[in-house]
Amino acid sequence: MTRALAIRLVIAALVLVAVIRRAWRRRQRAGQRVSTRANQRVSSRADRSVVLLVAAREIRQRLRGRVLKVSTLVIMLAVVAVIVLPTIHSHTSSRVRLAVVTGAPASVDALAARTATALGLRLRVSSVPSSSAGRAALTANRVDLVVTDHSNVVVARAPSPTDTSPSAQFVRDLANELGTARAVAAAGLSPAQADALAHAAPVTITALSGSSRRHLVDPTSIIGIILTFVLLSQYDQWILTGVMEEKSSRVIEVLLAAVKPLQLIAGKVLGIGAVALAQGTLIVTTALVAASAVGSPILHGTAPWVLASSLLWLVLGYVFYSWVFAAAGSMAERMDQAQSLVFPLTVPLIAAYVYALSTASSGSASLLFKILAYFPPTALFAMPTLVGLHAVGVGGFVASVVIDLVGTYLIARVAAAVYRRAILRTGGRVRWRDLTRPR
Amino acid sequence: MTGGLVLSGLRRRFGDLVALRDLTFDVAGGVVTGFLGPNGAGKTTTMRAIFGLTDLDGGTITWDGRPVDESMRRRFGYMPEERGLYPTMRVGDQVEYLGRLHGLSALDARRSAQRWLERLGIADRVADRVEDLSHGNQQRVQLASALVHEPELLVLDEPLAGLDPTGIDDIGAVLVEQARHGRGVLFSSHQLDQVEDLCEQVVIIDHGQLVVRGTVDELASAGPPRLRVRVEGDRDGSWAESLSGVTVSEVRGGEVRLVLDPGVDSSAVLAAAAHVGRVTEFSLQRRRMSEVFREAVR
Repeated sequence: MTRALAIRLVIAALVLVAVIRRAWRRRQRAGQRVSTRANQRVSSRADRSVVLLVAAREIRQRLRGRVLKVSTLVIMLAVVAVIVLPTIHSHTSSRVRLAVVTGAPASVDALAARTATALGLRLRVSSVPSSSAGRAALTANRVDLVVTDHSNVVVARAPSPTDTSPSAQFVRDLANELGTARAVAAAGLSPAQADALAHAAPVTITALSGSSRRHLVDPTSIIGIILTFVLLSQYDQWILTGVMEEKSSRVIEVLLAAVKPLQLIAGKVLGIGAVALAQGTLIVTTALVAASAVGSPILHGTAPWVLASSLLWLVLGYVFYSWVFAAAGSMAERMDQAQSLVFPLTVPLIAAYVYALSTASSGSASLLFKILAYFPPTALFAMPTLVGLHAVGVGGFVASVVIDLVGTYLIARVAAAVYRRAILRTGGRVRWRDLTRPR
Repeated sequence: MTGGLVLSGLRRRFGDLVALRDLTFDVAGGVVTGFLGPNGAGKTTTMRAIFGLTDLDGGTITWDGRPVDESMRRRFGYMPEERGLYPTMRVGDQVEYLGRLHGLSALDARRSAQRWLERLGIADRVADRVEDLSHGNQQRVQLASALVHEPELLVLDEPLAGLDPTGIDDIGAVLVEQARHGRGVLFSSHQLDQVEDLCEQVVIIDHGQLVVRGTVDELASAGPPRLRVRVEGDRDGSWAESLSGVTVSEVRGGEVRLVLDPGVDSSAVLAAAAHVGRVTEFSLQRRRMSEVFREAVR
């Protein structure tokens, strides 16, 4: 073997060793990566499992307590009452009893029937022999009004000019119709002319600008706003007292010895959120069933969408504010401490609630209100109200949801950091400057 | 030592107060370790640090040679000083829930909770709310919660505080039993007689630093000789105060415990005692844990 060949063999052997070594290291690194990923997956599963355990405990505790059962029952009864009572009232007032004195013009019956139909009233006409008999029937409340002839309608009590009820409107409209009939008769018009006059169509209204888009008061929106406020206040109170209870009873030390703060707070938010969703769905379903059963107007038009969006925004609003309340609860040991912390945080909530009620009642939304529908702390009231007023499109609605989700993510990160630093500090209310110091 | 729990150079400061000052000691598996120190010595801060409940300025905590992390802590059991239980939750649910948080399956957690509640004599209260239980029984629930997942290490802050003698016996027996199964047990207490009875090893800290560490036997037999003397008619041991090289360590019910400096002849002490009255008891004694404690933190 020549020297050159020997050198080549040594070099080849070294290269071979280097290649094998490199391949071996690569394989080891790949193995480690697989192992790390597997560990991360196991850890992630364990994290989720702990969150679900905490959530399950919250759900069990709420379902066992009387507060949830009683509040659900009370709210459901209130919702049913709000939906059903107006329809009962409208059913009792949708009938009108007319007495016509014998000898009055035959056209009175036809005029009365036409007027009642136009107002959606059921008319019952009876005949009385004389004007005094008619007055007696009126006094005895056997009839609602008496027509003696073309010139006189008698009622027990004069309808107020501001009374917009169908029965009051019927009295006014019938008086107008009879007056017109008397004038037509006095003018000596032919039947065809009188008929043309009676069926005169209004002229076309041409406007220089569009309508003001002012809508009628939307009762569904108002119900949704009030329910959202009541339920949200209840859920946030649960979060606040739940976190405070864990802190003041010191059970938090036992819990955090086994789980991460984020798992604990996330489980609490998830558990109470699940109860909130179930309760909200139950109440909305009750509202829809009750409305359907009595033919309530809350099922008409956009009302179902308003209810659905109210439910969605109740959940979104809960998730947003739950983190805020959890952080506040972690800084307090007593309710008075918690309330003083929470008050400034709930100002936007209360302001948005009042503003939304006012807007839904007025029937038109200001520019400021529309802007607030894209601001997470106020969107939960503003956006469903805009839905009820037809003042937002699908794109705007989705954009608001996305902004809210981003806002919730950011607030959750801040709240989790506050919670982690505050929950184990005992001996009084935690001050903001304490959060910058080690636990 | 690398096995068991090793706390090394722990440092923690709260403003101007130094809570832990390079504290170093270890807790071996299979041994009950008493953790002693006067109020404010840093015991609770140390125990909280083991579970990551307080931040450290420095130092390391390892278990079997590896830094303690969240997954390890789930294999430890903890009983805090101020009891940590949900007041309105039922006893059985509470223990089971904490078992599940430590990684047990639903079935295992239920079985283990039932077993521990029976072992601690409160199985009949399983459906009661915690707030309806007496202090002693709440303590037992707390211990069951710390034990439900069969932890490798038990850390108990004042587990015997406020218990009647039966409760102390029951909980003490459980701690010793756990150690016999190879688990590490670290508990703090101010009841030094119980510590002496239950522990094989003692750690005493003061002002955040280690002052004494050793087995109970080592500590009891170490130090200068000491005598237990009882003289008829004497209640305060004042006769011994004038003796040179003799310190009165304790006076309890007419029994006087004396510490002798090196070179002091015990027969001289006997003669002085006999001069006061009839000597009914005179014996050489081991150090009591209370004496070890007092001398360590003096």
